[in-house]
Amino acid sequence: MTAPRPIRLTVNGVSYEAAVEPRTTLVDFLRQDLGLTGTHVGCEQGACGACTILLNGQAVRSCLMLAVQADGAEVMTVEGLGGRDGALHPLQQAFMEEHGLQCGFCTPGFLMSAYELLQQHPQPSDDEIKEALGGNLCRCTGYMAIMKSVRVAATKLRAASPAAAGTVEK
Amino acid sequence: MAAEMTKTLSDLPVSATRFIGRAVNRVEDPQLLTGRTEFIDNVVLPGMLHCAILRSPYAHARIKSIDVRAAEQLPGVVAVVTGEEARRTTQVMASLPPEWGTYCLAADKARFVGEPVAAVAASSRYVAEDALELINVEYEPLTAVVEPTQALEPGSPLVFEERGTNVMLQRVLTWGEVDQAFREADQVFTEQFRWHRLGANPMETCGIISQWDPVEGSLTCRGSFQAPGHMALGAAGMLGLPLHRVRMIGHPHGGSFGGKGGARGVGITALLSRKSGGRPVKWIEDRMEYLVAGGSQSWDRFYEVSLAVKKNGTVTGLKVQLVDNMGATGEGFAAFSTAKPLASFTGCYTIASAQYDLRLVATNKSPQSPYRGMGPPPHNWVLEQMMDIAARGVGLDPAEIRRRNFIAPEQFPYTIPSGNEYDSGNYEAALNKVLEMSAYQRLRQEQAAARQQGRCVGIGVVSTIEPGVFDWNAYAIVGMPMTGVPEGVTVSINLFGKIIVRVGFPLEGQGQYTIASQVLADYFGMEMSDIVVVPQDTLSAPPAFGPGGSRLGVALTGAILGAADQLRDKLIKVAARLMQTEPANMELMDGKLQIKGVPGAEMPLAQVAVVMLTRSDLLPPDIDPRPEATYVWTAPGRTQPDEQGRAKSYLTAANACHVVMVEVDAETGKVEILKYYIADDCGTRLNPATVEGQTQGSLAQGVGAALLEEYVYDDDGQLLTSTFMDYLLPTIYDVPMAEKAALVTPSPFTPLGAKGVGEGAMHTTPAAIMCAINDALLPLGVRAHEVPATPNRLWKLIQEQKRKT
Ligand code: FES
Ligand code: FES
Repeated sequence: MTAPRPIRLTVNGVSYEAAVEPRTTLVDFLRQDLGLTGTHVGCEQGACGACTILLNGQAVRSCLMLAVQADGAEVMTVEGLGGRDGALHPLQQAFMEEHGLQCGFCTPGFLMSAYELLQQHPQPSDDEIKEALGGNLCRCTGYMAIMKSVRVAATKLRAASPAAAGTVEK
Repeated sequence: MAAEMTKTLSDLPVSATRFIGRAVNRVEDPQLLTGRTEFIDNVVLPGMLHCAILRSPYAHARIKSIDVRAAEQLPGVVAVVTGEEARRTTQVMASLPPEWGTYCLAADKARFVGEPVAAVAASSRYVAEDALELINVEYEPLTAVVEPTQALEPGSPLVFEERGTNVMLQRVLTWGEVDQAFREADQVFTEQFRWHRLGANPMETCGIISQWDPVEGSLTCRGSFQAPGHMALGAAGMLGLPLHRVRMIGHPHGGSFGGKGGARGVGITALLSRKSGGRPVKWIEDRMEYLVAGGSQSWDRFYEVSLAVKKNGTVTGLKVQLVDNMGATGEGFAAFSTAKPLASFTGCYTIASAQYDLRLVATNKSPQSPYRGMGPPPHNWVLEQMMDIAARGVGLDPAEIRRRNFIAPEQFPYTIPSGNEYDSGNYEAALNKVLEMSAYQRLRQEQAAARQQGRCVGIGVVSTIEPGVFDWNAYAIVGMPMTGVPEGVTVSINLFGKIIVRVGFPLEGQGQYTIASQVLADYFGMEMSDIVVVPQDTLSAPPAFGPGGSRLGVALTGAILGAADQLRDKLIKVAARLMQTEPANMELMDGKLQIKGVPGAEMPLAQVAVVMLTRSDLLPPDIDPRPEATYVWTAPGRTQPDEQGRAKSYLTAANACHVVMVEVDAETGKVEILKYYIADDCGTRLNPATVEGQTQGSLAQGVGAALLEEYVYDDDGQLLTSTFMDYLLPTIYDVPMAEKAALVTPSPFTPLGAKGVGEGAMHTTPAAIMCAINDALLPLGVRAHEVPATPNRLWKLIQEQKRKT
């Protein structure tokens, strides 16, 4: 155990300053110190993806990082996806309509992985979806409804922002 | 009573159903999707401490001493408990068969790797884990017994010395003239099979917060409990508390699949909370704990199976010899899993006689627990392998031998030799459907072409029963003292005419709150958003069990319709009084209370509710003034088992036929699933999207079972697969999208004709994939008899054969 160290970071657009023990994982910091319990812990082994968040726009496993490593970073969690009024993001909406979840425990991780994918590939192929979600485990759905949800979300998002629809994939 | 409860959709008080039968969005999803659902690890209570558990590194060892002084001194540590305390202050845990239980912390010796020996409550999980490192345990390692063959040998180490044997239970159950069937058979086929341990592994592990009330001497537990009512019974027994001093609050959980019992966790956190002066103590199982010694390792089985067959392919007898490695104790209630096959012992077939020779053996592995399907998945797997073997033996196509043996539609309700009664079905129609959908003949041609090119392509065709809506009665054969599995709800109507339904189980993932909302919205002519489902703790809820054994869709519908009928009757009585007519003249129809045949003579539900809630002086005499009703539903017509274990146990028998095409890479042993087709029949589909979801999810678990998942132990009883890097769950790359077709043969025994479907494809997929693999291996002259069929296992089989030829 070593003395707490100060960190500063932005989470879902809100700036935080905190002092954390260097051994505190990022997911524990988010869940316990900030009370952002939407990010889930399924394995703490880096193998399930339930704890996936965006760190400076990139999907990472918050169980494999220490909070001190996120010093200065911009973090987005599932709480940052929809509106504060409870409105669902089109991605969340698509998961609901396509039954892309059952127990919903893996879902925040899938949403964040899918969000990153759609940022980079507004019109992803099935292979790209698989690649993006290949590290997220779901025990309930058998994945195919999740695939479909992501496809439908991509369509919704392109319709919502026609600029993206023109983006050509490389 | 039962007959009265059986309704069809047209018996509902609406002119047209609007939600039942439609793939409506789930009411639970917005909360889940925004990360707002209150899973147990999200809960923080004032003064809460965190628990970490020290576990035995040995599979079998005497505990000579435990020194916890240094741990107790660590700043932040509030309490430490050991087996010594558990022995002094608690009872051994309930087990099945009875008397194979231990204390929640090992008191004299450790019987499996991962068995808790001490636990700490501290200011944080980090500190609690630091403290574990300061606990000094002196062990005297004993020889471990890991396989049942070893455990059955005379002189083998004993898991429980005082019992004098490692055999937990042995029974031979015989149904019909089975020996005669074998004597008179044209051919007899016998094979041995090995199903390796696998388990539930929901994405959320187990979690519990226990809070002791030292003033009242009571215990409150919040947790990810699959069956809170049964957890309460277990906790009361273990802690020696009267049942009214135990309150279990079930939280939404991230899947269970049979694996969320957590009895040890309750005991350990309760002891820590008591020792901490009543501070709440939270234990969140980590994944390694789950894998090593958590809620579910299942089906560790050695089979020898024989089939008696006539020349024309008629199967006349089935003998199954099962040796099941239960692990160290009976606390996980895995014995259920060996009894449940009685509910569908002879599958979809008219096999007239059968025998089940059953042995449950204790070893130094982690105790087994139930997992999705509870035993029939391996049973179906061996039965369907045998059907294929018989088909080949008599020269029939696998589809054809099944067709010849199917129970025919006009034979229902049909009692199988092991005593269970199937409600309804049309197995041939399902088979025809799946053969048509898969273009079976063309698949066979494709296979032939692939074989020409030297590729190992195979096709599996299997047909199975999914017993649904369980009753405890069948489990009497393994020592279960209870019968009847109730599901109760309270339906009430508020001042504004909206519906509140109180249930006794937490959210688990199967979309039950949605089904409750669908049924009530249709019944009372409302929108689904007018309904709210509220889970209750065990001191408030009506008798309830919750999900399990593919029951809740049916049981919940039964409970809701029962309560809704009673509430309707009450509302009608009040409305009749207010409208100055007789109740017999009134009806609930399309959301209104109306006088039959008098247009416009109606009263809104809200108005009646307001009167009931505010003006009891205006109510008819002899009426309970609350606008609510409670109904407890239990599967009707279940019977107690006879000497040979014959009972009507499961209320419904859903049916599925799967066709799968696989390719085995003969160089590496790797299996690829090329195509997958499912035709299934679970009666009325209350929410087709949910049924599809259960089927596809269950298919994924079946793929895991067939190809990937295995708890591997070494000879010393050490688990070698304690992370998700070694225990392989299917990923998005491993699960095919099945093409699905639904048949609907309503159950005559259930409300609305629905059948249990929650365990779904798990019953069928491992069998189907294995049949396909063996079909693929046929030209190589080898047959696989073990699941999972890992590349290594198949490769070895192929190599050995090559060496021979
Ligand atoms: S919890 Fe981080 S990957 Fe599983
Ligand atoms: S929805 Fe339950 S784990 Fe994915």
